[in-house]
This record gives sequence, C-alpha cells and structure tokens, in this order.
Amino acid sequence: MKQQEFKVVSKSVEKIDAMSLALGKPSYVADLQPAGTLYVGMLWSPHAHARIKSVDIAAAENMPGVAGVLFHGNVPRVPHTTAGQGFPEPSPYDTVMFDSKVRFVGDRVAAVAAETPKIAAAAAKAIQVEYEVLEPVLSIDDALADGSPVIHDQEDASIPIPVPYEPARNIAARVGMDVGDLEQGLAEADIKLDRTYETHYAQHTPMETHVSLAQVDSRGRLVITTSTQVPFHVRRIVAQTLQIPVQQIRVIKPRIGGGFGAKQEILLEDVAALFALRTGRPVLFEMTRSEEFISSRTRHPQRVRIRSGVTADGRITALGMDVVSNTGAYGSHALTVVCNCGSKVLPLYRTTNIHFEGVTVYTNLPVAGAYRGYGATQACFAVECHMDEVAEAIGMDPLKFRQMNHIRSGEGSPVFAALGEGKEGVEQAIGSCELEECIRLGAEEIGWGGRGMPGEKTGRFRRGIGMACLMQGSSIPRVDMGAASLKMNEDGSFNLLVGATDLGTGSDTVLAQIAAEQLGTDVGKMVVYSSDTDMTPFDVGAYASSTTYLSGEAVRKVAEKVKKQIVAVAANKLGVPAERLVVEASSVATADGSQSVTFSDVAIHALYQMDQFQVGGIASHTTEKSPPPFSAHFAEVEVDTLTGGVRVIKYVAAVDCGTAINPKLAEGQTEGGVLNGISYALTEQYLFDSKGRMSNASFHNYHIFSMRDMPELKTILVPSYEETGPYGAKSVSEICINGPMPAIANAIYNAAGVRLTHPPFTPDKVWQALQ
Amino acid sequence: MKLCDFVIPADIDEARARLRELGDAAFPTAGGVSLHFLRFAEPKTAVDLTRLGLSGISRDNGRFTIGATTPVCDLQKHVAEGWVLDRVARRFVTQQIRNISTLGGNICRVFWWSDFPVALLALDASVAVRGESETVLSAEEFLARPLKLLKPGTLVVAIDIPAVESGAGFGYGKETRVGSSFSLATAAACVVVEGNRIKQARVAAGASLSMPQLLPAVGEKLAGETADREAIEKAVATGTEGLAWKGREGMSDPYAAELSRIIIADAITDAVAEART
Amino acid sequence: MSTVKQISLTLNGEPKTFETTADETLVDLLRRHGYRGTKTGCYEGACGACTVILDGRAVYGCLLRAFQAHGRDVQTIEGAGSFDDPHPVQRALVDEGAVQCGFCTPGMVLSAKALLDETPHPGSDTIKEHMDGNLCRCTGYEKIRVAVEKVAASTAMP
Repeated sequence: MKQQEFKVVSKSVEKIDAMSLALGKPSYVADLQPAGTLYVGMLWSPHAHARIKSVDIAAAENMPGVAGVLFHGNVPRVPHTTAGQGFPEPSPYDTVMFDSKVRFVGDRVAAVAAETPKIAAAAAKAIQVEYEVLEPVLSIDDALADGSPVIHDQEDASIPIPVPYEPARNIAARVGMDVGDLEQGLAEADIKLDRTYETHYAQHTPMETHVSLAQVDSRGRLVITTSTQVPFHVRRIVAQTLQIPVQQIRVIKPRIGGGFGAKQEILLEDVAALFALRTGRPVLFEMTRSEEFISSRTRHPQRVRIRSGVTADGRITALGMDVVSNTGAYGSHALTVVCNCGSKVLPLYRTTNIHFEGVTVYTNLPVAGAYRGYGATQACFAVECHMDEVAEAIGMDPLKFRQMNHIRSGEGSPVFAALGEGKEGVEQAIGSCELEECIRLGAEEIGWGGRGMPGEKTGRFRRGIGMACLMQGSSIPRVDMGAASLKMNEDGSFNLLVGATDLGTGSDTVLAQIAAEQLGTDVGKMVVYSSDTDMTPFDVGAYASSTTYLSGEAVRKVAEKVKKQIVAVAANKLGVPAERLVVEASSVATADGSQSVTFSDVAIHALYQMDQFQVGGIASHTTEKSPPPFSAHFAEVEVDTLTGGVRVIKYVAAVDCGTAINPKLAEGQTEGGVLNGISYALTEQYLFDSKGRMSNASFHNYHIFSMRDMPELKTILVPSYEETGPYGAKSVSEICINGPMPAIANAIYNAAGVRLTHPPFTPDKVWQALQ
Repeated sequence: MKLCDFVIPADIDEARARLRELGDAAFPTAGGVSLHFLRFAEPKTAVDLTRLGLSGISRDNGRFTIGATTPVCDLQKHVAEGWVLDRVARRFVTQQIRNISTLGGNICRVFWWSDFPVALLALDASVAVRGESETVLSAEEFLARPLKLLKPGTLVVAIDIPAVESGAGFGYGKETRVGSSFSLATAAACVVVEGNRIKQARVAAGASLSMPQLLPAVGEKLAGETADREAIEKAVATGTEGLAWKGREGMSDPYAAELSRIIIADAITDAVAEART
Repeated sequence: MSTVKQISLTLNGEPKTFETTADETLVDLLRRHGYRGTKTGCYEGACGACTVILDGRAVYGCLLRAFQAHGRDVQTIEGAGSFDDPHPVQRALVDEGAVQCGFCTPGMVLSAKALLDETPHPGSDTIKEHMDGNLCRCTGYEKIRVAVEKVAASTAMP
C-alpha cells in the first residue's frame, strides 16, 4: 500500500490524551492518591561501599505518625534484577530488597512509611546505622585492577541465563564477536587508526520522577498504580521479590510523565507494595528530584576503543570496537546495553573484518540502566567521530566517505546474526533504507558545501558544521511480544486494549490510527486503554523502539480479524456475499454503493439481534526482524576560541522511520531526542567528590536545556516503506538521541580544529584543547 | 521545618516593630527565593515585606531609585533612557524567579553566584537603609557586610543607581552552562570615555570569586588608557593579579581565571562601545 | 510546631480561605485541596511543572509559601480552560502536537498565558525569554514554541 492511499495513517491526528493533559486533569500517579495515603521516606546510603553492622529502627518506629519501617532485618531476601526485561532476564540477579551491604551513595538502607512526607523523611533520618566503610571502586580502571575490592561478594548473586558472569572480578557482563580477521583487515589497509573515546554519566530527568502507589483492594489483592514503562514486568518482579503469586497483583499504568528508559526499571514498587500489605493502607512512594539523580538509573558511561583500517580510496578493510561499560553498583541492563554498542552501530558501514568485545564492570557509583539509545548512543559517538577522523586521514570529505560505505537496502551484515540482546542475533537483510536521501536532504538544509576547512577559519568566534549517520532497531527479534484486544460497541466505537505502554510518546494515538486505518473508521471511534495487567493483554512494554513496529502490528492484526467479523455480520444482514462488500468510513457497503450498513448497525445486530456475539478479538505479534530506522544528523556550531564556549546554531535531523504513522508525533520524538542529545553533549554531567558522592543532584547544577537554549531545529521525515511493519512503519524514538554528540564533536573540529573525545564539551575542555 | 510562623505587616513601621520583637527569630522575606538555599538551626518566623509600598522605579536628577521589593521582572521590563539593569535582569535565572525575586533580597542575602551585587558595584549604587533614621550607604560598604548592617528592625528601603548617559557606558558579561542557570563567572563595567581614551572605569566581578567584588585595580589601570581591546585586556590582566579565582562545577581554577578575565574584558569592551554611541 | 493560620485569596476568580502553616508551599496547599493539575517535578524552583499565576505573573508554586499568596489573585490550570472552552494556548499546544507526556504542559500553558495576558503579541525572543523557567524533556520545545508563536500572532489574543 502506498502512502497516499492511507486514510488515517500518516496523518497528524490530534493526540488522543493531549487536551486532557493540557487542561491539567488528574492523570498521573501522584494525582490519584486517595485520602489516608501513607508516604515513604527512604534512608539512602551515605557511603559508596560499606557493610551495615547494625540498624536500630526503634527511634523511627516510635515517632508519632510512623506506620512502619523496612530494612534488611525484616524483609524477604530474594535476589533479582530491577531491570524490566523479558524472562528470564539477561541481567544479573544481584539485587535484594534491602541488603546488609551498600554499594553506592544512594543505595537503599531502610524505608519508613508515615502519615506525611515530612514525618517519613524525619523518621528515615532517625534510623541509627553503624557502617563498616569499605574501600570504594570509583572508576573503570579501579574496577578492572588486580586486587580491586569485590562489590558483589554475596553468595547468592547469579545470572539466570547461560552467559559469562564474574562478580569476583567486578565483571557484570562480557560479550564478543569476530567476523573475518581484524588483524588481516588492518594489514590490508593504507591507513590504520586506533582511537579511544569516553562517554559520561547522564540522567533521563523525566519531568515526573519515579512514583508508585500501592493499595490492597477489597479482596486483598495488591493494586499498584505506577509510573512505569513495563507494567507486566513490574507485576512479575514484585511477585518474585515479595514471593506472592502473580495472580494477587494488578499493575495499572496511568498517564506517565516521561520515562526515556529510566522507568524500564522496578525501583519503588516492591517497597510501596510491602508497606501496603503490612499496613493495609494506600502507600505512595515518590522520588525527589535529587533521589531521581542519585538513586534511580543513569546512562552507562563507556570507554570505547575503535580500531580501523581503510584503503586510500575509501574502503573500510577492518573495524574493531572494544567497549568497557560502567554499570555502577548493580548490573541492570549490563549485558544488553553493551551488546547494543556493537549490534546497533557496527552494521552501518560495510566491511568484512569486524571485531567486537564488550565488558561491563561494576563500580561503587550510581546505577546505570536503560536510557534511550541504549548503548548505541555511546558507541555511535565513537564510531561517528572516528569516521570523520578516517576520512580526514585519507583526505576525503567525511560525507562522501559515509556515502561510499554505508549499508543499503537489500544488504545484510554479519553483525545481525552474531550479536543480539544477551544472546546471538537474528540474520536479516535491510528492507527499507533511505539513508542516502537523508544525507542528501540534510546536507542541503545545513549548507554542507559551504562549511569550509578548520584551517581557513579566523577570528574569535568560528563556525563549523559536522554530521553523523545513525541506525537503531525496531524491537528485539525473537524476544519481544506485543498483544492487543479489540471489541466493538453498539455505537460503532471500539475499545482498543493494549499492553503497550504510552509513556508520553503518543503510542495510544499511533495504535488507534493503525486500528482505525485497518478497520475503515476514524480515530474518534477508538477508545484506547493502556496498560493494566488485569484488563489489557500482555506486552513487554515500552522499550527497544518496539511499540509502533511490534505492538502496532499486533493491533493491525486484531483489527484485521475484527474487520472480517464486521463484514461477515454485514453480509448476513444485507444478504450479500462478503466478497462483494467494501468497508469505508465506518460503513460496510456493496461496491456500487446501493446497499450499506453502518458500523453501529453491525454492532447492534451482533450484540442484540441475530446470531449474537461480541464482535472482537485478540492478536499477538512477534518478529523475526528488527528493521533499523536510519538517520543523518547535521550540526552547525559556533566556538568562542577565547573561552571555549560552544553554541549550537542550527541542527538538522533527517530521519527514515518508514511510514510515520503520525508525522507530528514522529517529529516530536525526533526534536525531543535531539535536544536531549545536544544537552548531553554540552552541559549534562555528573560531578562526583572523592568519596563517590554526586555533588550536582539538582536542576540548578545538572543542566538541561530550556526553550531559551534551543538552536534552530529542523526535522526532515524521509519516507520509506518497511514491508514487515504496520503500514510500512519502523521505529523513531531512540535513534534521534545518538546524533548530537558526534555531530557536534565533528562540528567543533570543523570550526576550531580540535578533536574532543571526552564529552561533555564544556567550555573548559574546549579551551584546554585549544591551548 | 524552616519557618514556624509568618506575619504580614502592612507598613514599614509595623514591619520594623515585628522585626525588633522577633530579633534573630525573624526571617525577613520578600520573594522568598533564598529560603530554598538557606539552612537554619531553629525555625524562624517569616516577616513578609512585600506590602510595605517599597516596590517601584522612579527617576530624578539623572538617577534611578528602585524600591527594595521591586521584583526583578520590573527591572527586566523597565524602559528608560540610561536604564541598564534590564540587561542583568533578563539573564537572571528564570522568568518565574524574576517574577518574585526582589532587588533588595538580592543584595541582603548574597551568594557567590549573585548577579545584581556585581552590577550595583560597577554602577556605584547606593543603598538606603531605614532604622531609627534613614542612612545611605554605598553599595560597596553595604555589600561588605549586609547582614551586620541590618540589625533587627532595620530595613533596606531603596537602591539608587545613576542613569548611564552620553559619554558613559555599561557592560555586563555572564557565563552560565545554560541560559537559566546560576552564574559561573560574571562581570560588570561602567566607563566614561572621552575621545579615544577611557576617562574612568568601575569594574566588578563575581561567581568565580568567593563573593561579588569591586575590582578597583582594574578601574585604575584603565583610567587614561586608549579604549581598545588590547589595552583593556592588558588592564584586566594586571588589575586582576593576585585574585583567588575559583572554578565552579568541575572547572579548574586556572580556567576560571582565564574565563573571568575574558568576561571582564568583554564587559568593558561593551561598555566602551556603548559610551561611544 | 508550626502555627496554623488562615489565609484568604482569590483562586481562579473565586474568593477562598485556607488554613496553612508558614512552611507550606503554595503547590502543596493547592494539591492538598484537590487542585492537582499543578504538578511537582523538582521542589527546587527549576522545572516549572508547579507554575501558577500570582497577580498576573507566572511563579513557582514550589518556592512560594502559601502565605505569600494571602490577599492576592491566584490562577491555576483548573481555571485556564475546559474541554468545551480551552484557552487558545491549550488549543494551540494540542493542535501543534506539543503535548507529549504532558507533565510540563499545565505549567507551560500558564507561563504562556501570563505572558500573553500582559503582552498579547510578543516576538519569538520574548516568548523564549518568558518560557525559560519551564523545562520539558519530551518535545525539544520546538512544537511548544511554534504553538505559542501562533497564538501570539493570532487574533485569539486581544
């Protein structure tokens, strides 16, 4: 089906929850707290690495207004992972609810539930803890050093899948692959480069911090309303941690104030739930902004070494990537993030000799996890800077070098089969790919031809242009599953129930469009409900750029089923064979239009009149492919060569996400990811003191951009048609965050002739490089 | 708990009486922004100073008088010949804070990142303080020890600055990580130019110093110099020797020094350019 | 212990009386009384999710103590518009696709409303300057900027 034939898809229909949110209707977890709610205050570890010798909770328990205290002495000890992933998870079971050891500043020590947040905070402070402070491991090098303190020395840490796990050496994960022979490829090259890049800590900073509300319903079941990307994983992991049946738990995801990966993690639900079970009261656990920085999840800092060989005419003979990833104190997503460094970056350029090795280490620093881009962000920075360096080394325009070497439609990469998420991957050939067009349109928009060379630029303020090419995936093949159910009501409206988790992206709207397109109706007829483990079918959740591609296809399939039922009912009612009927504009009619029934007629007929049944169905979808979206990003910067200040003047993102089901929402995903990527490149960083404490856990000194800081942003959607996706769609949400750091680094080089390999590119670093 | 009670006096006399009664237990406040950054050993009683009729900007004899509880947004939006504080106000944190934070509050509770003291030092502002009688102090005197001068029952009522008019110029420079964050280095300069020479200059800096301060040595070096960038940079270099620069948010001290010198030179350059127009 | 006192204010056009203590923030008071359209994202005067309008100016409900609103006029998102009659800024944000997670949106609406009430047709730079206290992590601000610029350029504002 071609794009112009769509009726609902590829139209920027109004996001179905937008007006209610703009009106400020109570929609988020904290808005829904009932009267009589208890509030949780957590005592977090002040030490990066220590054993807890004793905990005295008496003073806290006896404070007026305190309803309960939890610590390692009064909770079950069940090793698990906080990572909300498929089961069994590819992340180590290295976490227990409360432990007798703390492993980073901000680790859980004890929790209080009390009548007000202030009492809870005061009571948490009143808990007396005696620590035996241990030597902390505060860097990748410390973690790998011989004789380094062992962070996970407990006996019950393990990983539930058969992959290397060596906690005794502070190694949380290890993965590798070789195709061809890197050394031989290097030997064939005219130019060899060996460079190392190092990326930094960052936090997602969703505007709504992590928050969970747990209640016990009238039948004694636990109802957890929580700000999550993974309601079904929450249910499973809370059941595991508290050792209660899945059947006893209902997880509801209301509207979510952003996630970006931070909420693919079970951080509060177990504590709120246990307090609710023990007190019988509603319990709200909401992180403060500073807790969100220190104790939730972050982006894995990584050291990425790239070795490459190229011929003088621009052919890549070898490409090697060695990654050391820092997962902090716990190994959530430790393996899969590092896998993605290779699998979502290396296939972009053709070469026959490929090497990849990833090692993830534990440190006594904040815990890393899933963050939009998921390893590709870090590795893409390294590779895309490297491509510029390689092009320069052979005297070729970096744009032309990329054009010569990037993967195209119909081609495969040995990396796809060799490297998956936590296991081997799935072989695939690229279907849709409009990267060439992305490069062409983006270059035109930014004015690539006039960018000049660094040596030609003079004066204090110098401008430069840089670029990066990107790919990601669309869901995890042979791992992820999405499902949807659909039922028809007598007014011709439909309830679309999806496990897929709209966390603010607009996926409810996108899925409604897909259903409406397939059914021959409009979005206004769709009542979407996501996600509720009692009500909606299973879905792995909102991660891995999967919702539109994977859950969207489940929705399309169920709509196809339901449409067949509608046509069958109409055929009976009209006495016309089904094959002579067409569905359009919420009606079923004969091709000549002489006879027709509305959807409402069909539903009333089926529900009340003849051969009664519920028009409806359920469908599931898994995938054998993870078709990459592609993108070319361009940044124009101005460097103040006196102060080292860098300002982004203009940013262009040209993206091939297949069919954009809702173009405005797709643009919005891109713009949001790009701006996040720009501030990650320039201003966001974690500052630590010598004891491993974060010293800037506040929006006053962890700097994200406001409207005032934004450059001119231009998004170009370059259509393609992915045959395996719903109406040609691929993913769009993650890819966009990967571009800014390399594009800006390359632009800084083009402006000022200095190559920065250790972001963020703060003025002091740029100035240092200029000296 | 920081505050245990509040009072909302209706006029200056009532406010002074409340402050006297409460003594150290009083927390005089207008916008209340600084409360977020302060820690008290014991909870205090807030004395709301926003209803005393101390808000407004007036002009007389080439000087502006700014009421102590004038919010920063009024400085931001004020338009008048010779008015320069809009340049500082526009770059002061965020609109919500500009809407509530007051000029008086910004000089009574001074932090290392404070912007307005830097500008007021360069402008040679004066500060009117009401105790038993009204005393006028120079900004320099006042900012040296604001809390000591403000004995219980004493209030800042107004700040007075010159209009920057023909032959004179004002420049303001500020380095922040993002537009809305606190200063990492600030500078303000007020110059008088005659022909091709700087006749006199007052220069102040902050954020990369322990507290905002006037840099009299820079002003002295500039006096009589030719009004070009080279001379300005030289005067800044020699006039700032020996200052203890402090790098913030991960910057090194030497970088903070270099950055500050550039920002000071930029502020002076802008002031000179304005003086010449 | 904190002394409990009464304050009176005009809330969305209606006179109201509340009990409060000196250390209670305005946003806590509002949310306690069911005005939950005002969000809290940082409690440190930086993110702008708690923005309300005080005497015509956008302020942070998390920095302001409730007593500071005594005798003043307060507007919250609940007073800005309804499904039947949304404020032009709400309509424009929805139309432009500027609402993603929506958590920042009530604050954005009120910041824009305060600006447009005072200056009906601000330019692009003025909009950016006046919206700098509202953080958004989803949209990159582009569609929000476009939406507010459209309202500023339209006759929807007097």
